[in-house]
Amino acid sequence: MQASPLDLAQVLKEEGYLIDEESATTLFLSLALEKPCLIEGPAGVGKTQLALALARAEKRKLIRLQCYEGLDLNKALYDWNYAKQLLRLQLAKTEDWNEIKADLFSIEFLLTRPLLESILSPEPVLLLIDELDKSDEEFESFLLELLAERQVTIPELGTIVAKTSPIVILTSNNIRDFSDALRRRCIHIYLTYPTLEREISIVRSQAPEVAHRLTKDVCEFVAKVRKLPLQKLPSVSETIDFARALNTLQRETLNYGDLMGTLSILLKYPKDIAKLEERLKKWEMEALQRG
Amino acid sequence: MGDGGTSARMNGWKFIRFVNALRAVSVSISAQDILDAQACLDRFPDIPDKQILKSIFIRRSQDSEIFESIWRILLETQKTSVQEYVEEMSEKAVLEETQDSFGMGGQGVGRGSGGISLTVIGHSLDSSQITELVSATRLEALTASGLEFDEIVQAVLAEMDYYTWINTNDLVYQRNELLEESWYEHQDSRTALNREIRQQVLTAQVSQQNSWEPLARQHWLVKPLSTLTEEEKDLVKLSIRKWAQKLALRPGSRWKISHRGFIDIARVIQQSIRCDGFIFHLSYRQKIPRAPELVVLCDVSNSMGSFVEFLIYMVTCLRTRFRKIRVFFFIDSVWDVSDFVWDDDLGAAKQEITSWGRKASSGFTDYGAVFRELAEDQLRGLSGRETLVILGDGKNNFRPAQTEYMAHISSKVRNVFWLNPLDRQAWDESDSMMGAYQKYCSKVYRCRCARDLQKIVKDIF
Repeated sequence: MQASPLDLAQVLKEEGYLIDEESATTLFLSLALEKPCLIEGPAGVGKTQLALALARAEKRKLIRLQCYEGLDLNKALYDWNYAKQLLRLQLAKTEDWNEIKADLFSIEFLLTRPLLESILSPEPVLLLIDELDKSDEEFESFLLELLAERQVTIPELGTIVAKTSPIVILTSNNIRDFSDALRRRCIHIYLTYPTLEREISIVRSQAPEVAHRLTKDVCEFVAKVRKLPLQKLPSVSETIDFARALNTLQRETLNYGDLMGTLSILLKYPKDIAKLEERLKKWEMEALQRG
Repeated sequence: MGDGGTSARMNGWKFIRFVNALRAVSVSISAQDILDAQACLDRFPDIPDKQILKSIFIRRSQDSEIFESIWRILLETQKTSVQEYVEEMSEKAVLEETQDSFGMGGQGVGRGSGGISLTVIGHSLDSSQITELVSATRLEALTASGLEFDEIVQAVLAEMDYYTWINTNDLVYQRNELLEESWYEHQDSRTALNREIRQQVLTAQVSQQNSWEPLARQHWLVKPLSTLTEEEKDLVKLSIRKWAQKLALRPGSRWKISHRGFIDIARVIQQSIRCDGFIFHLSYRQKIPRAPELVVLCDVSNSMGSFVEFLIYMVTCLRTRFRKIRVFFFIDSVWDVSDFVWDDDLGAAKQEITSWGRKASSGFTDYGAVFRELAEDQLRGLSGRETLVILGDGKNNFRPAQTEYMAHISSKVRNVFWLNPLDRQAWDESDSMMGAYQKYCSKVYRCRCARDLQKIVKDIF
């Protein structure tokens, strides 16, 4: 573990992730207290990237559980290998039933899923539970034991405690609210769109081939676009893609009049693109007036 | 903690008061949180107290503002108690009264409380200017006058010509005389100014009442729905979804009598015949949902618009739980909007709420006429299993109540629930007809804030 939030920010920077001071402090404290970290914020602000960068910085194996509606224990924690159990039964017709019965529900016949894998792993891991808000409430309740005690209970085997304490990162796009019980067990970070200066630094580190002037123009433009009432605001990764696209088109600066056809890289809904195109005309006129 | 930390660390007394204040405003802090915070304060002397406490105590982004408010009141005023802070405010007030001759509004005359008119400042404000815009004396006087929080904020803003300022800038922008960037700067200034004024009013109220109650009232769960910010509105909607989901997972309270229902004797006997008279399984009567059909009637006059939005959202979330839902809007006549209101972002519903005002003949609510129209025309095909939910303040603009129609409707439906956004004391005031209508309702609920909505979701749906 790093000695201070600044050190943590530095190692994350070396892994290509620029974190602000407040989030670095909160993340540092969650690591220090060995508590799960719940990262919330709009899509595309770098929640998952933060977890990936942290895994690299801490030199931990990343185990990722992508959540979705209907996710259950069989997909997230464990399942019994029924085919193997049947084979075992067929091969052991003459053996003592009591022995077979005990044997059938042993680790050998267990299929480990991401959560159990993180608990059983002999090497330190980072468990990323991505987009938890997409899962159901029952699954959220099930996670409480894992988050608080770093253990899971399998009825046939009993309680399994983590061999090495995994770093647990949960992310959410705020599609639904979580229970107080889950929040209480986590340290909370709310990531939002970066400031202009930070976004310029991010684009420069991720797309060094783009000229500095163009990077600055793109970031200023995106900051302006984010103030519009759009259905989906451009994310950081879309800013990077947009800068790269303009660079590919060999633009050195950003001119409002030359953006037609490139806006779909930045915005994903036709309604939003139409809104922006309309606004671009106004911005172009203003730019001309200013000379 | 405290003595063990660096000299700059907050002492134990301040820490306890801070935790107590957070708890008083509904931020949940456990004993384990306190231990964690103390451990971190001791282990990491280089990390500022505020950051440590915020990281450990704040688990929802919307609680950040309340954390900042308490921090500012308790720890940035550099006073050991709220009482001392009140004393200081009073001293300041006396001083200002003797020194200041300028009126708020920049006229140099008038209220004699100091302050600056925003109209002479331009389109945007310097952040350093914002804190100096309000006179402490005036703020204290307004706080002492017994006005509600929002009224005080409005009064302070009006006195600094805020509304003239924003209208002027809106007009200049619409005429294309203000650059887009300057417009955004202006918007940011508006937000910052509003936040600062609200913060200062809260500080003054907390000091004057020597209690955290004014701050607790600003919690999104208890704040009137009509005064919520956009973020708080989103939060209320998220919560409504959560309550609706919980309801879906809790069938026990959704079905009549018991989870399994009544035993169907006839079917049990019928099935036993197939097995030589032996009974292997009990059969139950088909379960009947408690509220199979829903009729929602919403007053969409100006004062009710913000409440309608949440009720419609709530009904949208619970849509799958009902066999049939009909939604009517009304002011002085009724309009069936059942086909328009099911958008997730409520865009169409909002549009209907605003456009209906223009369609209404008078714009003044007339419950009597509405109930007559509903009884005579709209609800002819009632099955008798409907639950009628009415959202309205009951203010009839001194028109006849025509309770006979309400009585008729009530006899034709299973239940009538009335949701009123006004406080109970106001139900019998002046032109309110709640008293007359109440006896025909199964129950009347106050529906003013998110907490009221939560109770309604549990009780009705």
